[in-house]
Amino acid sequence: MFLRPLAFVRLATLALWLLLSGCATQLAPAYDRAVVDGLNAATVETMALLAGVSAGTTQASFPVREDRYNQLIGRLEALALLAGARPVPKNKVTDTINSLLAERGGPPLDDDGSTAPSVHAIKKIAETVTKLRDTDRKQGVNAFEAMAFKGQIAIYLDQAITYENFLQR
Amino acid sequence: MPLDISQLVLDMQAAATSVLKADVTTFRGFSDRQLKAIAQQAELVRLGITTGQITDETREFFLDGLEDMALSFARTLRGLLIATVEKVWNALVGVLWKAISTATGLILPIPTLGADR
Repeated sequence: MFLRPLAFVRLATLALWLLLSGCATQLAPAYDRAVVDGLNAATVETMALLAGVSAGTTQASFPVREDRYNQLIGRLEALALLAGARPVPKNKVTDTINSLLAERGGPPLDDDGSTAPSVHAIKKIAETVTKLRDTDRKQGVNAFEAMAFKGQIAIYLDQAITYENFLQR
Repeated sequence: MPLDISQLVLDMQAAATSVLKADVTTFRGFSDRQLKAIAQQAELVRLGITTGQITDETREFFLDGLEDMALSFARTLRGLLIATVEKVWNALVGVLWKAISTATGLILPIPTLGADR
């Protein structure tokens, strides 16, 4: 869907250009087993917590869940730090790739090229769990909201897991 | 011994294609999952707001979340593509260096991306 024959040629051409120009540059961060293992563990913990609130919660029972929320948020924030500690070099090569990708559709992405995309996704998971906790504390969470929280978290988890596993190359 | 240019081109094509075919499968699977999930989330948020099941406390959060999720998906896809370019580069260098080593009889260390010059 995203890579048509023309895109294949462009990618191969870019790779050949890199080859011929002798650019000995790392383009993506290194695979880190600790990040992947941490992500897997956090995924299990997150889904277990979400299952526990899926039928809805009441403000009165929040203290029972508070420690679990806090532990999970801490784990996720630590994981984001760990994943972000790997250097992602920004150079002319990545700029060239960005230009090519921008040509393929829409405006160029205005992001911080010095961090892996999974770092952002993990941070957003932590933010979502934090919002879930704060809402639970304030007024409880109904079953529909619990489903929406789960949907948002699952999307970011998929992004982080797919990217981190892909780095094993 | 001269290099067999035709064979070298074929070998490089095969190496690049092998990487790209495997990675495109990943891209497609990831994109399909994400687009479907984001669309379902959008419908869920719409329904929740319409019925009042998404409360004032979380409404803006979920709306902002939809926007960010789409951008984060695009960034992740770009990250995957960049990693693929690196893999193709390594595959091509591997083929070239092997051909040169065979032709010259020299054992040449294969350069890898990330090795500074």
